[in-house]
Amino acid sequence: MAAAALCWALRAARQVLPSPCPRQVRSYYVDWRMLRDVKRRKIAYKHADERLRINAIRKNSILPKELQEAADKEIAALPRDSCPVRIRNRCVLTSRPRGVKRRWRLSRIVFRHFADHAQMSGVQRAMW
Amino acid sequence: LLSKDKDKSAASKDRTPEGAAKRQVDGADTPKQQLLDIIGGMKVEVSYRKKLQRLKASENKKQAMNKLEGPDSEGSVPQGITQDTQRGKPLNPELVKAASAVASSLPRNKKQTESELLAQLRRHEETTDKQKKGRTINIRNVISEMTIKRQSPAQRGTRVSGRISLQLHEDGQRLRREGSSAQSMDSRRSLKVGKRLNIFTKASTEPEHALKTASSPTIWDLEFAKEVAAVTAQPPRNGFEEMIQWTKEGILWEYPIDNEVGMEDDAEFHEHIFLEKHLEGFPKEGPIRHFMELVICGLSKNPYLSVKQKVEHIEWFQKYFEEKKELLQEI
Repeated sequence: MAAAALCWALRAARQVLPSPCPRQVRSYYVDWRMLRDVKRRKIAYKHADERLRINAIRKNSILPKELQEAADKEIAALPRDSCPVRIRNRCVLTSRPRGVKRRWRLSRIVFRHFADHAQMSGVQRAMW
Repeated sequence: LLSKDKDKSAASKDRTPEGAAKRQVDGADTPKQQLLDIIGGMKVEVSYRKKLQRLKASENKKQAMNKLEGPDSEGSVPQGITQDTQRGKPLNPELVKAASAVASSLPRNKKQTESELLAQLRRHEETTDKQKKGRTINIRNVISEMTIKRQSPAQRGTRVSGRISLQLHEDGQRLRREGSSAQSMDSRRSLKVGKRLNIFTKASTEPEHALKTASSPTIWDLEFAKEVAAVTAQPPRNGFEEMIQWTKEGILWEYPIDNEVGMEDDAEFHEHIFLEKHLEGFPKEGPIRHFMELVICGLSKNPYLSVKQKVEHIEWFQKYFEEKKELLQEI
């Protein structure tokens, strides 16, 4: 069973290439935490509509309360990873959970590294 | 037309290949002498077809004679007559004999020349057949519709001057007139007047051989195509080719940027806003109706969803409330 889980994880860790491109491609995620984050994002995407609709029934002052309680139970029955709150915006290159700028999806250290090597378009050292 | 000219010129000359054959048997001097005898002793035939054939044959011989002029030939009788007649349509035996005589009179490779001559004869036969069936283009029909453009010497002079000199006012005037004159000439002959010349064939729009052997390409075909693409794909030589490749892969957007790429909402605005017709499955009164009307109000203000998605949204609620019916009855 451990072997099966490992196999599944390895397969998940690999990126699927739709077409053979001659460039170098990263075929593993940076670490397991990043992999889990990816899983959570996928499942959250899958259940997003349903969650929205059930919440619309729940957060309602018009419908009867019994209906709302039933909706509560339903939403609790969904997988835990389907809620978007569990997603963490990690750095894309280093998987750092803190110090990540949203626009570039990079942690502060990586961002500084690239900006100093002039590899970030439109980014300049501030001076005023 | 050449044939017509030949007709006129040959009206005086008389020709029969039968006489030629006889002469060939009798004469037997040099082959050249025989040939001259042939041409000299020909008579007029009534039927047009044979006349045309002989015209073509004689024309051929004359052309051949003019082309390959050289020292005297060695007299060797070519033997390839039977071979040639077997191919395709059988030629007139007299023509064949005449061709052999011509070939023998010429300096170079006898058999080759003879085969060439016979090939030409065959081609001419084909053209005569085609002309009879009316498939080839008669140049007379084409020319009949054309008129000769007459230039006044004054115009000619101005045209020349117009080409060489600068854009002075006078030249501009003259050029304008020339342009107008050309237009007037064209307008005189309209496009739809005249007999139909079958020069261009209508592109037959056959229904694409509907089903290929497999209705969709098989996996092996796809694999093969992928392999070929991978092998032939050269690395980009410059930045432009790199950008082209990126655009094909989808990494780079297409310019000028189209804001609605991937979004193909063909629905009109009224389908987005007036969604009450989807509310037919719900009870007319009660909190559920109230709730759904709010839902619809919200959807009508939503510019990000397509009509399909909105309809799906409403149907999901319908299904949900159907399932919860027993619960609702208790209330």
